[in-house]
Amino acid sequence: MVIIKRKELSFIEKLYLPQIFQALSHSFRAMFQPRITRQYPEEPLPTNEVTRGQPRLTLLEDGEHLACVSCGLCEAACPAYAITIDGHETERFIEREPERFEIDMLRCILCGFCEEACPKDAIFMSDELELADFSRAALVYDIDKLKRPREELQGRIDYFYQVNDRWRTPSSTS
Amino acid sequence: MTTQLFEYAPSSPDSLASTERDDPVHGELMKLNMGPQHPATHGVLQLKIDLDGETMHNIDPVVGFLHRGKEKTCESLGWAKFFPHTDRLDYVQPLMNNIGYALTLEQLAQLEVPERGQIIRVLLMEISRIAAHLIYLGTTAIDLGAVSIFFGTFKERERIYSILDAYTGHRMNNSYVRIGGVFADVDDQVEGMMREFLNSIPASIDGWEGMLTGNRIWYDRNRNVGTITKEQALAWALTGPNLRGAGVALDLRKSQPYSGYEDYDFDIPVGTVGDCYDRYLVRIEEMRQSVLIALQALERLRTTRGGEFLAEDRRYVLPPKDKVHSSMEELIFQFKIVTDLRLPRGEAYHPIESSKGELGFFCVSDGTSSPVRCHIRAPGLYNVQAIPAIAEGRLFSDMVAIIGSLDFVMGEVDR
Repeated sequence: MVIIKRKELSFIEKLYLPQIFQALSHSFRAMFQPRITRQYPEEPLPTNEVTRGQPRLTLLEDGEHLACVSCGLCEAACPAYAITIDGHETERFIEREPERFEIDMLRCILCGFCEEACPKDAIFMSDELELADFSRAALVYDIDKLKRPREELQGRIDYFYQVNDRWRTPSSTS
Repeated sequence: MTTQLFEYAPSSPDSLASTERDDPVHGELMKLNMGPQHPATHGVLQLKIDLDGETMHNIDPVVGFLHRGKEKTCESLGWAKFFPHTDRLDYVQPLMNNIGYALTLEQLAQLEVPERGQIIRVLLMEISRIAAHLIYLGTTAIDLGAVSIFFGTFKERERIYSILDAYTGHRMNNSYVRIGGVFADVDDQVEGMMREFLNSIPASIDGWEGMLTGNRIWYDRNRNVGTITKEQALAWALTGPNLRGAGVALDLRKSQPYSGYEDYDFDIPVGTVGDCYDRYLVRIEEMRQSVLIALQALERLRTTRGGEFLAEDRRYVLPPKDKVHSSMEELIFQFKIVTDLRLPRGEAYHPIESSKGELGFFCVSDGTSSPVRCHIRAPGLYNVQAIPAIAEGRLFSDMVAIIGSLDFVMGEVDR
């Protein structure tokens, strides 16, 4: 515990003059310091693989089918109820694929829980952040708007696996 | 220390009016609504004030304009999905709220956080505390007319945002804390940014203190304004810097240490008078102490490099992704935890020392995937309810200083 000292003003300080000059010198010095503000639309904030932007769906190597098997884990993990999935049977080896996969970007809070929950590497956070349209319906993204080739998200996937590397000691259950 | 009940007796408008009716100046009270859109009320707080000239009587704070039903949301959402909602309680220090909630769940689950996880949490908490106190300093100063301080504090806060952006990927609303630790390890780049920030912030604090502490205007507007005695502060359940400003050395980091705070070397600043000036000095000193704690935590981070930051417990913590792909067991755990995370039956309350005071989450579990009851002990609400006692009989212009120095965030008060 330390008792803080209350300052008593000296005679000079009571005159208020030194404070005026100190504040003026502060302002003048600030004029020559580099600017910290940013001209936003022209100079957007730099994004990298750490940025948690809007979630996107990855495509398989064939560039046609989604990696998603519509298990519904991301839907269950979503705290904002932004994800809607309808799945159906398919002839392909994975047996199930999404018929409808919608993310309501107006509800999405970019928390990244879907990415953490997905067992098939099918959904990852991209670095896309900007969101604007003329109607609310246009911001409910469907598969066509969400799908991305795996190469576009590769940086984020690598980063995710790197930070997700835990429990390095061998355990009894695995 | 014995707590004695402080009786607050508001003066009724009738009695005031009748006794002073003959006086042409006094006698008629004017009702004034300050807020909920007033810029100096720091959010959507409404204050109904009876003004007798410039003197305030019968101050009635009205809260609830930002009520979003967070406690009820927690009861319907479930344990893990509530983390993003805790971000939005006290939105100037989201990670502190995350950690407070996580500690409650860990107490309920009897889960030990690994050492490195605790160190990272302490580091994040202290950085959040600095960020929150910077908001206090900037907004209070701009309310009392010192605009350049506001720009200075927000410039430094911007650097904290950059650090958190590099660590969590978000500038605000981070939700990066999980049951059992934190989501990611602090890497070298983030560590370097933190070290650089922590080494440069004391000079900035000295600069602001030099401009404010001896400033005649700041001095006159804060000194002996909004005085609250030790007994009053305890009776109104004030915590945090507001209580310590009144002279009670109560800090949960010292009295009930959590996350390994007992191993860190720091002091609790305590005031003597309990006015706005003392609360300001206490917060300035707390920022310096936070820097010391955070630097110690960085040192420990260096010695525990490569350690675990997330508890290994397959009942509550998601297994690593690559094992989910290869092992059936881990896949089952992944499904079980995401869809139906159950905590043991029981109840838990874990208070932490947030920048505003005692932030506590009280959760009752019946063994299912969501709490039966979740109560949030938000320090801001207790600070707001002390306003009538603190400001009764003061001049109206003091109200801005009092609101600023009590330092509450309405997102947390109304929740």
